Amino acid sequence: MKIRRNILFFLSVMGPGIITANIDNDASGITTYSVAGARFGYALLWTLLPTTVALVVIQETIARMGVVTGKGLSDLIRENFGVKAAFYMMLGLFVANFGNTVANLAGWAASMEILGFSKFVMVPVGALSIWILVTKGSYRLVEKILLFACLIYFGYVVSGFMAKPDWGPVLKSAVIPQMRWNSEYIMLSIAIIGTTITPWMQFYLQSSIAEKGIKKRQYKAMRLDVIIGCSITDIISFFIIVTCGALLFPHGIRVHEASEAALALKPLAGEYAYLIFALCLANASLLGAIIVPLATAYYVCEAMGWEAGVNKTFSEAPQFMWIYTMTIALASLVILIPGAPLVLLMVLSAVLNGLLLPFVLVFALLLVNNKKLMGEYANSKVYNYITWATVITIIGLTSFLVVTTFIPLKV
Amino acid sequence: MSLFGELFISELLNKPVLDPKGDELGRVSDFVVIKGEHLPKVSALILNKKDKLRLEWDDLSLFNKRVISSKIYASHIKPYESSEDDLLIVRDIFDKQIVDADGAKVVRVNDVKLEGKHYMAWLAAIDVGMSGILRRLGIEGRSESVYRLFGKTLSQNLIGWGYLQPLEPRLTKISLTVPRQMLSELHPADIADIINSISQKDGASFFNNLDIETAAEALAELQPEMQADIMNSMDTEKAADIIEEMPPDEAADVLSDLPKERADEILEHVEKEEAEDIQELLRHEEDTAGGLMTNDFISYPPDITIREATERFKTEAQEAENVYYLYIVDKEEKLQGVASLREVLIADNDSYLADIMETNLKTVVPGEDEMVVAEIISKYNLLALPVVDESGYMHGIITVDDIVDILLPPASKKKRRRV
Repeated sequence: MKIRRNILFFLSVMGPGIITANIDNDASGITTYSVAGARFGYALLWTLLPTTVALVVIQETIARMGVVTGKGLSDLIRENFGVKAAFYMMLGLFVANFGNTVANLAGWAASMEILGFSKFVMVPVGALSIWILVTKGSYRLVEKILLFACLIYFGYVVSGFMAKPDWGPVLKSAVIPQMRWNSEYIMLSIAIIGTTITPWMQFYLQSSIAEKGIKKRQYKAMRLDVIIGCSITDIISFFIIVTCGALLFPHGIRVHEASEAALALKPLAGEYAYLIFALCLANASLLGAIIVPLATAYYVCEAMGWEAGVNKTFSEAPQFMWIYTMTIALASLVILIPGAPLVLLMVLSAVLNGLLLPFVLVFALLLVNNKKLMGEYANSKVYNYITWATVITIIGLTSFLVVTTFIPLKV
Repeated sequence: MSLFGELFISELLNKPVLDPKGDELGRVSDFVVIKGEHLPKVSALILNKKDKLRLEWDDLSLFNKRVISSKIYASHIKPYESSEDDLLIVRDIFDKQIVDADGAKVVRVNDVKLEGKHYMAWLAAIDVGMSGILRRLGIEGRSESVYRLFGKTLSQNLIGWGYLQPLEPRLTKISLTVPRQMLSELHPADIADIINSISQKDGASFFNNLDIETAAEALAELQPEMQADIMNSMDTEKAADIIEEMPPDEAADVLSDLPKERADEILEHVEKEEAEDIQELLRHEEDTAGGLMTNDFISYPPDITIREATERFKTEAQEAENVYYLYIVDKEEKLQGVASLREVLIADNDSYLADIMETNLKTVVPGEDEMVVAEIISKYNLLALPVVDESGYMHGIITVDDIVDILLPPASKKKRRRV
């Protein structure tokens, strides 16, 4: 009985951690893992383990703040660091997330093209449907669609098994670190952290926890939710790398995009693996294109004290609705302009994310150490060392990524 | 000291303060305010040099947008001893959430306006508009010209301090609100929206400040989890008062989401008759007719005259939730018939209820599924449907608004839920 009650208790808390982590695997994440697998086989698998640990440490801190304060991260930043800090952070987030939305809609366009649909039809159709879904649809419908969409991610696990990899070397590479002094290798290993730990996720996670009203007594269950969520994300990433590593790497097929990976799989693994890859990419892209602009609209409005909410109309919450609408509309336009510098835009958005991340993490750490705010739930000394060390490492690695984007590395 | 009229705090921050020799004492970093006659009064400035310094208001000689100077010398100024009890404008008021009762929404304090008169300065209003944000960012002037290009002006959005009232006695953790009587004038659904848009802790203290009647109405509009939170954090006496104020079916809904012990504890403090009604409703499954019904309905014996029925109705209808139908029951409370209010009003005063009542009745049993109930109400265009068991005993009625809630969840339940 006790186990059953515990399971029920966990199910009532479950959600924010798992959903946030799943959506983290959006178009750019999938691209990074496909490229990593195709280029270096299993050699980058080991990076997933430390990345998961770092992700858990950070998400746990953020989630704890949500539980204890009952407020979102943007609320806390505004209240404790003032309107200037909040404003510029939100401006940065807005621009970076515009880039993320472009990346996701580009992923959608690419997956539709390889399935044989014209992007000039499918991008407007996709953009319009997610716009209608959020502005006109009910919360329940949106939630059902999202939960179903999260299940589709397991298609990658299926494709991983279908690739029939030699599991011995796979598992060995997953736990034994190996280093190669190759600029592409270093860039990719850092990019894996960069696409896993993003600024917008932290805002999104804390707000959903505050929104769900999770209490202190549910804190342990929530921590489990976070750990499971982070693990699932990286399990999916693992199988993407394994699929590409087993099928594309031996043939020396280099890909630059997730959709290219799907196309390349077709002659090697047959119709099914190709379809799974294409459909999973379409799903992840559309999911990202719903959540990222929506999340942005929420945080920006909350930090600025503007009205926000999916069920409000344009006249009730103008800023909220316009941020959401303009992000989707402009991002779709960018995708449809022939010869638009899509790759440049996505790189810039990754750079901006990298620039924002240190601020977000440092603000979060300062807040979580604020005894007035957190009381007994403030970080302990040991926990502080671990978190600061993690944060400083991530900041170091992402700054490296940002710098080398401007000054390419020659090794 | 010269009068300065109106000033915004953000225009003063970081301004140098000079002593009589022209040396810089420090830069303005915050303002201490104390209770004044009508409005809070500025009592001292906090300056930033190497450490924080405190400069009393009375020691100032000039105070305006351009120059701030003091009568005392740099060597005489005292350090500021930080205290939690002080109310500081920048630390405690800037950027905090307040409730704008006019628009029924939660906004943030972007700036604070001072008013100067008779050598004193008062905290006059808070700015919650866009211009306040831009002023804080130091780009108000430029933005104004951009706006003018589009033929618009920046909206000033000030709320006078007189309308504000702190939620918690200690101001350091404020969420401010309007005076209570203004809150009670808001629609309960709007109040529920406000509670939904602030943190749980603020929501609970906000709720605690409402009068019983408003609280009862607002509580019914909240999501079940939020209802339970609030009921759990409130003291039992007050919780019982609120439950008593609610229609029994709504009260039963709230209590059924609480832990059993807590619900019993609250019920013990509820008036006996009311508590019995609620307890009876609590026995039914949530998604059945019994779970939906209320036992708050108007019933009369068949052998009274229309005149008598009307007289009784005038007193009883004040308490009842639904007054569109009068139910006619015998001594054993078995349902005999129903008369609509219209039928009663147009009937001859001297005829009996039994003469005008409809006896071909649509009823449901307490165990009936909620969807069947919805179908019957919809098919026969009823405003309320009686719940009657096999022996004819009348348990309660299900009103059309309860059915609407099943088919369309209240707006406040969907609002602001994150996807």
